[in-house]
Amino acid sequence: MKKILIADDKATSRELLRTVLERQGYAVTEAADGEEALQKALAESPDLILLDLQMPRRSGYEVLGELRKDPRHAELPIIAITASAMQGDREKALAAGFTGYMAKPVALVHLREEVNRLLQIKDFKTAGENG
Amino acid sequence: MTAGNPESQAGARQESSLESRYRKLLHAAPDAILEVNQEGQILILNEAVERMFGYSRDELLGLSVDQLVPAAMRGGHAQHRSAYADRPKSRPMGTGLELQGQRKDGSLFPVEISLSPNWIDGALHVIASVRDITERKAVEDRIRTLREQYTAELTLKNEQLEARNREVERANRLKNEFLASMSHELRTPLHTIIGFSELLGEQLEGPLGEKQQRFVGHILQDARHLLELINEILDISKIESGRLELKREPFEFSQCVEEVLGGIRHQAATKNITLENKNRFHDSLYADRLRVKEILYNLLSNAVKFTPEGGRVWVEAFSAGNFLHVSVCDTGIGIPEKEHPAIFEKFYQVGDARGGTREGTGLGLPITKHLVELHGGTINVESRPGQGSSFRLTFPLRPAS
Repeated sequence: MKKILIADDKATSRELLRTVLERQGYAVTEAADGEEALQKALAESPDLILLDLQMPRRSGYEVLGELRKDPRHAELPIIAITASAMQGDREKALAAGFTGYMAKPVALVHLREEVNRLLQIKDFKTAGENG
Repeated sequence: MTAGNPESQAGARQESSLESRYRKLLHAAPDAILEVNQEGQILILNEAVERMFGYSRDELLGLSVDQLVPAAMRGGHAQHRSAYADRPKSRPMGTGLELQGQRKDGSLFPVEISLSPNWIDGALHVIASVRDITERKAVEDRIRTLREQYTAELTLKNEQLEARNREVERANRLKNEFLASMSHELRTPLHTIIGFSELLGEQLEGPLGEKQQRFVGHILQDARHLLELINEILDISKIESGRLELKREPFEFSQCVEEVLGGIRHQAATKNITLENKNRFHDSLYADRLRVKEILYNLLSNAVKFTPEGGRVWVEAFSAGNFLHVSVCDTGIGIPEKEHPAIFEKFYQVGDARGGTREGTGLGLPITKHLVELHGGTINVESRPGQGSSFRLTFPLRPAS
């Protein structure tokens, strides 16, 4: 079962994302701030991370920066989720090294599609490496 | 006047003689003109010398010219005179220095002096022409003072202006920060309101009764409406602060029309409105794709909103010259002509005449107009009450260089 880490300081948002993703058949762990997100990402090696950009202790950008330093996480799909949605935010996030970007409110259809797509790409790449 | 003085001898002659005429010429000069011998004694002077220095002619004749020099300079003056004797030629005296004369009463005044050698029986005499430049100095001083004042005022004004600019920039930055944080704070709860409503509506957590489904639908619809309003308010403030930038790229216009029509189809179907695509432009357009979609979406959703059951809404587009012409038309309730200019103004809403529908911010059309104009295009409306509306747009096919 694929593991997804959801990092968001809003408990209601975590519950929403968890509900949607568990129904898709993924195993979900949660982190309520940036530091916890980084620790869980390092300890539990999730297959994908949904990372809120504005969180206490460490911002999403800081967590991303720490993870991307490690070659094992260089290709890990990490999706930025943010309610800021100002002009240029998407470009900034993608330029920083996020794999995807979603503005809150996130349409559930879009969330399912994006997560499934990135995990399939990951499978395809892994299969390629093993084959 | 003493006998033996050349001037008094001249005075004895006939007034009409040439010498007399020369003397009159000399006396008529506004500058003080005097001749001194090698020892510095004044031999000849005109009337201006008397007026300028406050001595009488008798006091001046035979007086050392050093007496007319300020007391403080007097000591060096004899040396200056002998230096002149070494190189006698016509020249201004003390070039670059501020020269002063001293009146009999001891007062000083600024002067300009020209010197010329005059050889008399093998001895060097000097003719000095002294000009009182008090007035000129005063004018120059006044001009300098005015210029300094003006410069000081200008500097002050500039500083005030810069301070004001900094204030405006700061206020603008605070406003932008406020908008960014407001947007964030409003979207955060909307994210879960819309998300959980969608989840409930999907009935994966258990079936809903017909009424419950409808209620959840209402929550979802109004939450999405609220989101649109937030986006519109953000857009208008970005437009007003000039921060809305276009991301131009070439894209297939016809695909863009299809996508927007797809997004509006459900809305049209619930009112049994026929949606038609009469686009005849199948080339690529160089514009901001998302903003063009927003423009079309705004006009089409307005058209559907203001068209009664069973009506028609259509999009036409064709290229002519360097422009793409787009029309969004409907068979709706129309807009009275006197309201045509106002509908593009902020917060204007066509009143009860449009079926009592008063939802929205009144920002949709102003934003649409701004977006069209940012692209270098135009927008106008043709409409009559009861006969529908046509919004006609132009887009440059290529941006102006």
